[in-house]
Amino acid sequence: MKQSETTSPSEAAEEGRRRKRGKWGYIWPLWTTLLLHLLAILLFTTGFLLTRTELPYHSHCSDVSRSPCFSSNNGSCWTKPAVNRLVLIVLDALRFDFVAPSTFFAESKPWMDKLRVLKNAASTRPLSARIFKAIADPPTTSLQRLKGLTTGGLPTFVDVGNSFGAPEIVEDNFINQLVQNGKKVVMMGDDTWTQLFPHHFERSYPYPSFNVKDLHTVDNGCINHLLPSLNEEDWDVLIAHFLGVDHAGHIFGVDSTPMIEKLEQYNTILERVIDVLENQSGPGSSHENTLLVVMGDHGQTLNGDHGGGSAEEVETAIFAMSFKKPLSSVPAEFDSCSCQQDLDGKNVCISSMQQLDFAVTVSAMLGIPFPYGSIGHINPELYALGADSWNSDASQKLSEPDVWMQNYANALCINSWQVKRYIDAYSASTAVGFSHDELSRIASIYAHAENHWSNSTKYLLLDRQNNNATSVPALKKQIDAYFKFLTAVTELARSKWTEFDLNMMGIGIGIMLISVIFQVFTILRANKEHDGTLSSSGDSWIISGSIFTIFLLGIRACSFLSNSYILEEGKVANFLLSTSGIVTLRQSVIKGKLQIESIGFLILSTFCRFAIEVGLSKQAATSAFMKDYSSWIINIASGLPVWDYAAEVVPMVVLILLAAWLYKASSGSFFVWPWKYVILGTILSYMLIVAHWIADSNRFDGGSIPQSIGRTYIPRIIYAIGLGQLLFLAFGQLFKNSNLDCKTNLVAKTTSILSAWSSTVILLSGKQGPMVAFASIVGGYFIMKFVNIEGGQDGAHRSFSIMQWSLFATCLFFCSGHWCAFDGLRYGAAFIGFEEFVLVRQAILLAIDTFGFSIILPVFGLPFLVAIKCQANLGKNFIFIQLSQMYTTYGLITAITTTFTILCVTIQRRHLMVWGLFAPKFVFDVFNLILTDVLICLASIYYFDQREG
Amino acid sequence: MDRRNSSEKTTTSQGSTMKAPPSISVSEAFIVNALCVLGLAFAFWVANTVFSIDLVSHPSLTLFFISIAELPIVILLYSRYRQNRQQCTYLRAVGRGVLGVPIGALLNFLGAIALGAPVTFQYLPKTLNWALMMSLFTTVPASCVLGSSWADWRRIFAQTKPNGSIEYLICLPAHGAVIGAWFGAWPMPLDWERPWQEWPISVSYGTIAGYLVAMVASLGFVLNCCRSQNIKRE
Repeated sequence: MKQSETTSPSEAAEEGRRRKRGKWGYIWPLWTTLLLHLLAILLFTTGFLLTRTELPYHSHCSDVSRSPCFSSNNGSCWTKPAVNRLVLIVLDALRFDFVAPSTFFAESKPWMDKLRVLKNAASTRPLSARIFKAIADPPTTSLQRLKGLTTGGLPTFVDVGNSFGAPEIVEDNFINQLVQNGKKVVMMGDDTWTQLFPHHFERSYPYPSFNVKDLHTVDNGCINHLLPSLNEEDWDVLIAHFLGVDHAGHIFGVDSTPMIEKLEQYNTILERVIDVLENQSGPGSSHENTLLVVMGDHGQTLNGDHGGGSAEEVETAIFAMSFKKPLSSVPAEFDSCSCQQDLDGKNVCISSMQQLDFAVTVSAMLGIPFPYGSIGHINPELYALGADSWNSDASQKLSEPDVWMQNYANALCINSWQVKRYIDAYSASTAVGFSHDELSRIASIYAHAENHWSNSTKYLLLDRQNNNATSVPALKKQIDAYFKFLTAVTELARSKWTEFDLNMMGIGIGIMLISVIFQVFTILRANKEHDGTLSSSGDSWIISGSIFTIFLLGIRACSFLSNSYILEEGKVANFLLSTSGIVTLRQSVIKGKLQIESIGFLILSTFCRFAIEVGLSKQAATSAFMKDYSSWIINIASGLPVWDYAAEVVPMVVLILLAAWLYKASSGSFFVWPWKYVILGTILSYMLIVAHWIADSNRFDGGSIPQSIGRTYIPRIIYAIGLGQLLFLAFGQLFKNSNLDCKTNLVAKTTSILSAWSSTVILLSGKQGPMVAFASIVGGYFIMKFVNIEGGQDGAHRSFSIMQWSLFATCLFFCSGHWCAFDGLRYGAAFIGFEEFVLVRQAILLAIDTFGFSIILPVFGLPFLVAIKCQANLGKNFIFIQLSQMYTTYGLITAITTTFTILCVTIQRRHLMVWGLFAPKFVFDVFNLILTDVLICLASIYYFDQREG
Repeated sequence: MDRRNSSEKTTTSQGSTMKAPPSISVSEAFIVNALCVLGLAFAFWVANTVFSIDLVSHPSLTLFFISIAELPIVILLYSRYRQNRQQCTYLRAVGRGVLGVPIGALLNFLGAIALGAPVTFQYLPKTLNWALMMSLFTTVPASCVLGSSWADWRRIFAQTKPNGSIEYLICLPAHGAVIGAWFGAWPMPLDWERPWQEWPISVSYGTIAGYLVAMVASLGFVLNCCRSQNIKRE
């Protein structure tokens, strides 16, 4: 040990203790941090990111025989069909007060009473036309709502399932059941439907929905196809999805002329639709037994926003109308309506229902199996609209409402059985299901209801001769029992899938803060020890550098509190990087050295900026899912053949240059055997990447290399070489005798592990890989040089360089064409070298592609900042202190930004963009933090070798 | 505080050895600053009343008016306080001030691009006019007073150690303008969809605000500086 020369005898004991502590003394804080972070994130995530597992099961007609209930005996499926055809008109973002008469509200607003046709129908024919206030469940975005409406479930932010990027609904749903049971579905309007159900429609007329400024394309398309289609016979279910109100809200707000014009337009359309249906509703006509449903998928705020859970957003309307002789009355117990006079003095009644119940109710009316994962119950009032058609086969002795009630009781029996089946299957198939207590409570409620069914109600229903006096109260009791069960299930599911657990989130944030304090404490303690061993040179730059670091970090962290800055995060990071470059330039002017480098760094950050802008423009333009964005280079290269050609050739040339540079570096004297072979392996990998690109491209006809080898085997060989290099480095560690001084050893180690990773990262990044790699080498070199500006030996205050390093890493993330959203993942990268999908393998490849340049390489490259300072006479312990401080600081920077992201999603959890923007950002940041921590731990093991220098 | 103390120390220690920097009395400093502010106000007034445009509706043209109004004021005023009066005539100081305009504009232009100013063709005139204005606030006074003395430039702009009252008048407003512009960029990404969030409107507001605040501050420093000189003299 060379440490002994350093200090006063009073610190000799301290010194000895530290020596005993050895390598683990430096490593344990890093591991503790990792554990704290894991714990914090786990707790926070269980409270915040509501997850649900999608079950792959489907309901079938024959299933019902396993239930204790009666299946309908005339050949149809689970329940007796009550309607034959369904016209479903979805008006996107339909607020409840668009439909309900203004007298229901405290004051009349200009946008109320515009859809008069619905109100008139409900008031003139209260038994066959009804208005419901439909309560949607958040997230109130169209995609999630359509999913909820058709599956009858509660879609969460993370629906764990097999759909890897594509939004197609794989869970059982109402549309799927229609198709399975031979019903034909016609769709027109919003193209979200065709994304969700790509193969289900008999005919479809989709129109693009992403252009918010376009109020008319989708609506006009709908109108053009809707009325002609009504007269055709080739469908059983017709869906028309109008988007104008949603777009008008987004652009102009609710209180605006375009919105009112849109509502007037819809009023006319709906009048015509009702006219057509009415005219053809006579016996034997095509719409004899048709149900018309006009509904919103969610509401909107007065500004036209939606997505969150506020009353304005979740309250929407459902209007349902059947065109036949209505049931005389629904039993009063099941009627939830409240009535008021409207402006014309007519009585209008409005009932209330959950949107959750829509799928199962409509399935029951159409007589198809209920979607497997539906947890709603059959709404009695909506179900009653189809009641009339059973009269024919009912016993004459019973009054109409009693027949209806018998049917309803049986339908509820099937409904309860199906929900129970789903709950059982769900808790059996997923690790994070419901708690045991809740399950047993639900099971007991169900058992009670079913007992009642098997012991009494069943016989009552079988024995049709029974008189009303005994049967009706028993039926009511039965229905109540089923209601109790279904309500309990819905409550449980809601609490599990739609409500944030604030306690968990709070504990998570608390632990996160503790970990940050722990890291700060570690740094301060190391600083103290460090100051004991080395005299610190009091330079004002050290203090101002630290202050500036804290300033930059604070600004960056606070910028996550606003959605706008998250959206433009790449630009913000680059702005800060350039600012730090300007500060460095100023500093280098003061010191009178390294001015060229600092100007070079500014130029580099300007280039980064252009690359980030190209990436952001792509983000704005993206609307299709699952696209293989190979790189932004392809984006630039459009049109000119010269550009095309350059886009293919330049990356290869750069890659070959990189290889040549590595070769030259490795021929330096200090690269002895283990490192040398690793670097040679990397050069080989680079050559293979070039070969792979040549084989992949159509420009150079890869005749010399068979396509399959070029496409599949070369990438696999490269992965294998990379893995081999890493293993080699890990084991080479054990029996290598280091006879080099610490600096060369550190440089050699860092270079070799970087080169081992680089080949895989470059391959996965596609054509832009070599350029970004080149930029990161240049940037890393500059930042490494800048460490010297700070002057003195005192490495403890290197925070500014580390901050710069971290900002640069963030910029590289955006430069390499990523952004913090799930459509920013380059799914294509996961399939380089592999055709088939294996979750773990593809996820690892995707993670390497996404975080290769922004985490893996920067973390492993960080020791360069120590190496530049390291002097031969300082010994190993010096390096350990330096490295551990460096890694703790880097970890702290990441942890602080992530803590702010977490705080921000907690504050903004009811924000309209919480699912669209904040939650993805949260997932990315959390992943970023954990990966950084893990890599720091691995790097600490790798770099801190026990042998004394 | 530290910095001021140290700079005063250097003033006292170097004052005897160095050539005395041209000093400026408080009232003169006030007049210089007041004229600069008046020039700015005049430019806004002309833009508003004569051409009925403002920074939000016609940023490029308004910035150009500001530059035109400030250009003679700044160059003519600051050239009066040139260093080395023996070797450097007033006209020469004016000449190097004029030369400082494009150089400063270029530097500011490049800085804006590095920090993320848009580079499309429609923004080019706006960026150029903004850089012109920045140049008048930052480099032109310095080039009038300091000329091409690299050491002085470095001392004022890199080390921020102004020496003497006139250098406070150069140093502080320049830093104020740059820092104001930097902060002025922050509202730009917000989704408020206000017209002033466009480049370079909010940045120009930031620049002007920073410039004005720093001018007031520089007056304070000049006052302080003169008082300490008086004490020393006594």
